[in-house]
Amino acid sequence: MDKHYFTNDYLPKMHRIGKITGILGVFASFLPALVLGFGHGLWPDLALLATCFITVTTSFGFLWVIEPISYYPVLGPVGTYMAFLSGNISNMRVPCASIAQVSAGVELGSEQGSIISTIGMGVSIIINIIILSVGVIAGSSILAMLPPSVTAALNYLLPALFGALFVQFAVNQKKLAVIMLVFGCVVYIAINKGVFNFLPGASSYLGTLLCVFGSIFIAMAMKKMEGKKTE
Amino acid sequence: MDAMQLANSLPMWLACGTAVLLVVFQAVIFTKKAMDAAPKVGLTNDQVKRAMKSSALTSLGPSVVILSGMLSLLVSVGGPMAWMRLSFIGSVMFESIAAGIGTASAGVQLGVDEMTTFAFTMAVWTMILGSIGWIIVSTLTADKMEKVQNRMAGGNSALVGVISGAAMVGAFGGMVSQKLVAVDKSALSCVLGGVFMAILLYVSGKFKISWLKEWNLTIAILVAMIITALV
Repeated sequence: MDKHYFTNDYLPKMHRIGKITGILGVFASFLPALVLGFGHGLWPDLALLATCFITVTTSFGFLWVIEPISYYPVLGPVGTYMAFLSGNISNMRVPCASIAQVSAGVELGSEQGSIISTIGMGVSIIINIIILSVGVIAGSSILAMLPPSVTAALNYLLPALFGALFVQFAVNQKKLAVIMLVFGCVVYIAINKGVFNFLPGASSYLGTLLCVFGSIFIAMAMKKMEGKKTE
Repeated sequence: MDAMQLANSLPMWLACGTAVLLVVFQAVIFTKKAMDAAPKVGLTNDQVKRAMKSSALTSLGPSVVILSGMLSLLVSVGGPMAWMRLSFIGSVMFESIAAGIGTASAGVQLGVDEMTTFAFTMAVWTMILGSIGWIIVSTLTADKMEKVQNRMAGGNSALVGVISGAAMVGAFGGMVSQKLVAVDKSALSCVLGGVFMAILLYVSGKFKISWLKEWNLTIAILVAMIITALV
C-alpha cells in the first residue's frame, strides 16, 4: 500500500475535478437566463437587477464566505466541492457525510473518513435528485395526495434529525457536547435578542460560525490540558 | 406567451436539465473515484456498503422535506426552475426568498399576483446571481482550507480527527441550539429525536443488535416527528 497515495495521487486529482465542475457549474447556472434572453428577448432591467442583487447579498452574501469555511472541517476538501454544487448543505449533505463515517466505523476527518464521506454524499445527491425529478414530473398532484397532517408533520423532521445526530456525535465527547449545547443556546439567545445587530446579516451566519470554531477551539484546549495531566 | 407557459417550456427544461446533469455527473465521478481509492487506504467492501446504505436511508427524510419545498416553488416559478434550483447550489429557504425579491422588483408579489414574463426573468436572474457566490468561494477556497486545517493541526494527524469530531459536535450543537431556544414544537421534536437516539444507541450497543444500529437514526427521527405532530 502506497502511504502517500491519498495526498499525492488521490487528492490532486479530486481537486482538479472539483475545480472544473465548479467552474462549469457557474456557467450552467446562467443557462435558463440565456434561454429567456436569446430565445424570447427577455432580459432583466439592469437597474432593478442591481437592487435585487444588493438585497440578496445583504442577507446571503456573508454565507457565501462563511459557509464554505465553517463546514470545511466537517465536509473535507472533496465534500466541499460536492456540497456547494448540490446545495442543501446543513439539512442533508452534512448529516449524510457524518452518518456514513459513523456507519463505516472510520475515524472522522482521516483519509478513510474523507473517502467514506465522499461516497456517502454522492449517494445522498443521487437520491435527492431522483426524488426531486419524480416529484417535478408528478407535479403538484403529489402534494394534493398528501393529507395535511403529513405535510404538517414534515416540519418536525429536520429538528428531530438534528437532535438525533447531535446525540450520535455527543456520546463519544460528552463533556464537549454539554459545553457546546450551553454555548450554542447562549449564542442563539444573544442573536435573537439582537446583541449582534451591529454586524450586518449576523443572524444568518454567526451561529454556525461561532459554534463550529468555538467547538474546535474548546476541544483543542481540552486536548492540551489532558496532555499536560498525563505528562 | 403566458409567463407560466414560458417557465414550463421545453427549452427551459433542457437548460435546467443540463445543470442538474452536471450535479449528477460530478456526484457520480467523485463517488466512483472514491470507491476506487477505498481499498487503497485500507477500507473494506463491507465498510463502503454500510456507508452507502446509511447515507441512502438518511437522505430519504430530508429529500421529502426538500420535495415539499420544491412543490411550493413549482407553483410560482414553474417546474424546470424549481427542479434545477433545488438540485443545484442554494437551499429551499434561499430560493424562495431570492425568487420573491426578483419578482417584487417587477411589482409582482410571489404567490399572490399573477406572474409576468418580466417578473419571471427578474426572479431567474436574482436566483442565479444570488447563488453563484457560494460555488465561486467554495471552489476557490477548498484547497486553501486544506492547508489551513493542516496548519491548525500542526502536522499532527490525531489532532485532525479531534478537529473534525469537534466541528461536527459544534455544527449539530448549533443547529440543535437554534431549534431549542425557539421553545416551540420543533424544539420538542429536536429533544425527542435526541432522547430516542440515545435510547436506541444504548440498546443496540448493549445487546449488540447490528441491524438495529443501521436503523437507529431513521427510527428515532420518525418516532420523534410523529409524537410531536400528535401532541
